[in-house]
Amino acid sequence: MSVLELPRLWRPETLQALFRRILDVAARPGQTADLSDLLDDRPAALAALATFCDNTQMLADLTGALSDTDLAFLDVRTAPVEQVGFILARGADAPRFTPRLGTLDAPEGGATIVVMVDSLTAGTPLTLTGPGIAAQALLSPSGLVPGWLDARAGWCADFPMGVDLVLVDKTRLAVLPRTTKIKGA
Amino acid sequence: MHPVDTMGQTREGAEYGFAFLDEDAKRELRRSIFKAVCIPGHQVPYASREMPIARGFGTGGMQLTLALLGPDDTCKVIDQGADDSVNAANIRNFFALTCPGVTGTLRTEAASVIQTRHRIPELPLRADQILVFQVPYPDPLVVVEPNAAKRRRMHGRADYARLWVKLYEDMVAFDEITISHRYPTRINGHYIIDPSPIPRFDVPKLHQAECLYLFGAGREKRIYAVPPHTDAIPITFNDVAFAVESFRDKTTGKRHVCRRCGADDSFLDEFPDNDGARVFQCSDAAYCDMRLERLEAAE
Amino acid sequence: MAYVAIRGGADAIKGSARLMEALRAMGSSAPLDLDQIERQMPLLHSKVLSEGSLYHPRLASLALKQSLGDSLEAAFFLRAYRSTKPRLGETAPHDTRSMRVVRRVSAAFKDIPGGQMLGATPDYLHRLFRFELMDEGPAQFDQITREWFGNRPKAEMPLTFPKVLDTLRAEGLLAPLAESDDEPFDITREPLIFPVPRSAQLATMARGETGGLLALAYSNMRGYGDVHPTVGELRVGYVPVMVPHPVTGKPMEAGEVLVTECEIVAMFEKSDDGAPVFTLGYGACFGHNEVKAIAMSVLDRAISVATEKGRISNPSEDPEFVLLHVDGIESMGFCTHYKMPHYVTFQSDMDRLRAARTKAEEATDAPR
Repeated sequence: MSVLELPRLWRPETLQALFRRILDVAARPGQTADLSDLLDDRPAALAALATFCDNTQMLADLTGALSDTDLAFLDVRTAPVEQVGFILARGADAPRFTPRLGTLDAPEGGATIVVMVDSLTAGTPLTLTGPGIAAQALLSPSGLVPGWLDARAGWCADFPMGVDLVLVDKTRLAVLPRTTKIKGA
Repeated sequence: MHPVDTMGQTREGAEYGFAFLDEDAKRELRRSIFKAVCIPGHQVPYASREMPIARGFGTGGMQLTLALLGPDDTCKVIDQGADDSVNAANIRNFFALTCPGVTGTLRTEAASVIQTRHRIPELPLRADQILVFQVPYPDPLVVVEPNAAKRRRMHGRADYARLWVKLYEDMVAFDEITISHRYPTRINGHYIIDPSPIPRFDVPKLHQAECLYLFGAGREKRIYAVPPHTDAIPITFNDVAFAVESFRDKTTGKRHVCRRCGADDSFLDEFPDNDGARVFQCSDAAYCDMRLERLEAAE
Repeated sequence: MAYVAIRGGADAIKGSARLMEALRAMGSSAPLDLDQIERQMPLLHSKVLSEGSLYHPRLASLALKQSLGDSLEAAFFLRAYRSTKPRLGETAPHDTRSMRVVRRVSAAFKDIPGGQMLGATPDYLHRLFRFELMDEGPAQFDQITREWFGNRPKAEMPLTFPKVLDTLRAEGLLAPLAESDDEPFDITREPLIFPVPRSAQLATMARGETGGLLALAYSNMRGYGDVHPTVGELRVGYVPVMVPHPVTGKPMEAGEVLVTECEIVAMFEKSDDGAPVFTLGYGACFGHNEVKAIAMSVLDRAISVATEKGRISNPSEDPEFVLLHVDGIESMGFCTHYKMPHYVTFQSDMDRLRAARTKAEEATDAPR
């Protein structure tokens, strides 16, 4: 398939625009990115994976939300959840696994977990502090069970090891890097 | 069709995709940038691609910029603070050839992405701006430990004792910390970075900034980041204040000013003029131009 | 990106490009033909193919022409071009026993199965100028080729030859080849983070700069090291490139590449079953470049032996020292970059020096 025939979401110019918005909110935890004009009616979770995944990466889809076509376009290898760099999960299901946390020498090996929630703005506010945040920021996801924040606290207790979360609702995205401290909920 | 004409320059757009790099290369850069931002100050290794500009001339910075740029961007390239410097001009030409639609600018405030070698612009950057640094030596521990595996372990543990010893030896020998540029700076209380060969004068600009700072080493194949609103503290001893270049004249005690715009708050280039006299001028050409414009408008 | 109107630096660059062109075109010589470069300077051409790490003979010739004969610059052109090419697939490992040999010698034995084939080599010619070459024309070329092809009988020559080292293996004097399913390390996709596997070591050197590899190998040969090599086999020839058919998956010959391969036999050591055996050093590269293949095989052994013993005694044995410093594109780039403006950092240095001098003056109370 030539570049011109690719569905809009997968075209280089879309992926570049997606990446810039994801980067902006990764650098500023608490801020949300509206991806609706880029999504072509696909879910934000898929867009997040499309930005980063290719045949050098491994993915575990814990949601079953990815179709065979999606996986073909992502071109990732699937593997058990403890081994992969990218995980797709639901905020409604508390995690019952230990993801890759990276090592002291190579903390970038810690997984990126895309967590699908109902809304990024309709829940109880979490208070965020840390790099990227002036004083403090609020993020109010709904459909993220407490088990997620508990698990994350454990996974990220030993900086620089840890995981980086990408929270998505249908059209919006926010990032919780391992450095962000969370209070409340 | 040959993409290369006789002048050694690519015909615009011929045979290469937008921003020169293939999509796999851009994706890998973007993954590395993402992790670098999530782990402030950590040097993320990546498979640096060869560029048509030589290693040592900013290929790391270029790869970052090419992974970032889209047709909506406005891009500025500076070297030693000047857009006009041969290296900056060369890189800017490359972006013009390979990124159709991106607007070029000399004005700092107009740029969304700025690629720089050895300076941070004088004008504080905004949240909608990204500064990309060209980095020759990503690792500040190289001076005290030649073995890469040992350095990685020291960074992971934030064990910088040997760096402190080096600074102490400086104090003993010269009563001064003699590091001029590439001043080791601690990010978010953990990783110490080499902020690239920016002068001490520019190091305070890294601390709690509005913009995102990205650092790319092409030859050494590392990417690191200082996010906005992040602590960036140059390391020093409790009783030795971090000092920036003062530009104070030794005899008169007065701070030199730019001969062109009169600025007394910018980093100055010092050079002999044709009569052998020492002159001082803003290193940041855009800042100098902006001040001149304002002075002329005020008249 | 729209061009930005600028003075000074950009004008100088344009002027420089035009001057280089003018110097190239001046005088009475005809423009170089790409075929001339490939055919009449094949060894320089080979150097560029292998250091550029892209087997594209036509572009290697263009690179030499455009870079005015600078082999480091020419290799750089190829490397940069390669950067833009998408990866279509990967082949299975190739066995050089399938090589269509054009030259093949062994120093280890007087005679070898298939024979010592000298091929085209300057090794045993005298380095005396043939001044008649200063005045050659197409008529001379015609005569040379006519004399060569003339009434030459078709020789009964095999196209492929067995490996000399297989005889040593058969006798148990060399360890058998280990079967491996390991994925080779891809140096174009991952940075070298030490320790690296041997496949990374070989891949890095295969595209390394000949002079750099030679200097380091020479240091080992002269005594900063312990390899003491004997060339078991040096072969030059064309290896068919087998690419899996996109539908059937069956390996199909897509073409052939010129390869130089050297296997050295070095000092013996205890093998896994306790009996001592010879050790092996391996070097291979695109094109016809014997110095590089031999140097590479010596360094392969030097690094491997130091890794096995866990002790590095000389620079040629240190994988970081060797592998990080033999890439011509990286070393040339960094060396060249020192010509770029560094006046801001220099300004910063001056500030520090003046501060230190002031401190020194204050300490002694005497002006300096």
